[in-house]
Amino acid sequence: MARLGRSNNRIDSTVLVICAVLSLIALVLPTQVREPIASGLRRSILAPLLRLQQSAEETRRALTMHDSVVSRRDSIALREMGVGALETENARLREILGLGSRLKWGFVPAEALHGRGVRDEFGVTLSAGSRAGVLKLSPVVAPEGLVGVVDNVDPMISHAMVWTHPDFRVSAMSEDASAFGIVQPHLESGAGRYLMEMRGVPFRTSIKPGTMVVSSGLGGVYPRGIPIGRVIGETKTAETWARTYLIRPAVFPADVYAVMILRPDRATAGVDNVWAVGTIADSSVRKVVAAGDSLARTAALAEATARQAVQDSITRDSLRRAGVPEQSIVPPDSLARVRRPILRRDSVRVDTTHRDTSRRAPARRDSVPVPHNP
Amino acid sequence: MTITGIFRAVITFAVLVLLHFTLRPLLGWRAPIDFLLLAVLTAAVRVRPAGAVLIGFTVGLVADSLSPDTLGAGALAMIFVAYLASWLKAVFFADSLPLNAMFFFAGKWLFDIVYFIAEHRLSGIDLVQQLVLWSPLSAAATALAGVLFLIVTRPFLEPAPG
Repeated sequence: MARLGRSNNRIDSTVLVICAVLSLIALVLPTQVREPIASGLRRSILAPLLRLQQSAEETRRALTMHDSVVSRRDSIALREMGVGALETENARLREILGLGSRLKWGFVPAEALHGRGVRDEFGVTLSAGSRAGVLKLSPVVAPEGLVGVVDNVDPMISHAMVWTHPDFRVSAMSEDASAFGIVQPHLESGAGRYLMEMRGVPFRTSIKPGTMVVSSGLGGVYPRGIPIGRVIGETKTAETWARTYLIRPAVFPADVYAVMILRPDRATAGVDNVWAVGTIADSSVRKVVAAGDSLARTAALAEATARQAVQDSITRDSLRRAGVPEQSIVPPDSLARVRRPILRRDSVRVDTTHRDTSRRAPARRDSVPVPHNP
Repeated sequence: MTITGIFRAVITFAVLVLLHFTLRPLLGWRAPIDFLLLAVLTAAVRVRPAGAVLIGFTVGLVADSLSPDTLGAGALAMIFVAYLASWLKAVFFADSLPLNAMFFFAGKWLFDIVYFIAEHRLSGIDLVQQLVLWSPLSAAATALAGVLFLIVTRPFLEPAPG
């Protein structure tokens, strides 16, 4: 029994020594030997355990970061709520900047401060007053068109009557100046309350729906050419001697927060080209296209003429070789005169005006000559 | 030890190893609980010293594979602790929980002493700080966790009377 115990003790000690020596050997192993052993253990026995550890650490990280993530998300959500308003404001400011660059001079930028009272829909307070050069009856405009007119001026602020005011009137005309009238708010309850009407249009004149109505410049308050709105259609009134048209306004005063106040000298000078940029550009494009077409037509005509001259020359040579008397050969210019009317300007197709068409021989030298019958 | 006893010991060992790779990183303490050492100690007191040494060597070497620069240091520390635990099982692992707590505490501290000296990574004041401050804290946490584990698993580990 004692011998067995001693034997076991010896085995225990031996195993201890062996394992201790192996551990020490592992400690002093070179890196290139140590690394494969560690890597093998990591990939085999430890792999599932390391995945568990990774999951646990991710869970801990998520728990630790939960509060900060929630607060950050709340901050982003709060900011995001204001982004729409900021984008709208940004777009409005860009439009105002564009209007300012087109006006170039003679205006006072101002902010429209809306009240929230019952009668506040008829007017807005402007953040510029007489010190900034604002005078009474100065037109108030937005990038879209006419907003109203200044009716009260203080040194620092002013007040404008917007077009929804029952007393608002502006002399107006259709964009092509074919019809004139007076624009005023459409005094009706309901949705029609926010429309305009153009009264006093001569009965013999009709305006198509969709036509832009602009200020006519008559009366001396509003310069000519400020957009007022687009015609929706004719409406029946008691005035049988004139037509009245409903107009969808270009500007809804409640949506206006930045405006331009035109100074009197600018109103006198006119704003003809300020709101007509699109029209000018369109007409410029049309002119360029038309000029291009004209050039193409001219080039095609010249090429056809040259081709005809070559053909005439070939024909004349052939006739000479065939023994036809020189005087009986029609001169090329007379031949051209005869044939030219056939070639109408409009008949030249673009696809027949390739450069290489002149290189193609229209007639062979030995082709049958056309004798001239005097 | 019966087959059932071996099976229970293996289950206990596996649970402690799993806790080492799940609960330990989840807690993320600066003085972590060493569930691997608890697993080796609970296994070592149930086998002969030679078996305890082999268990300690295997577990230590596998744990060392996570830090190849110190491969062998953990194994060396673990075999000494396992060997001593197996020798001292007659003294400890009685019914006294404070004694068991002391056993775990001493085992963990001894392990850290051997490990940090063998790995040669820390020296000077850092080594002293580690062995005097953080190792005892870690040993205390390990001892506490070990005692709690024993309380929870005692009905499972001890065979039913009769």
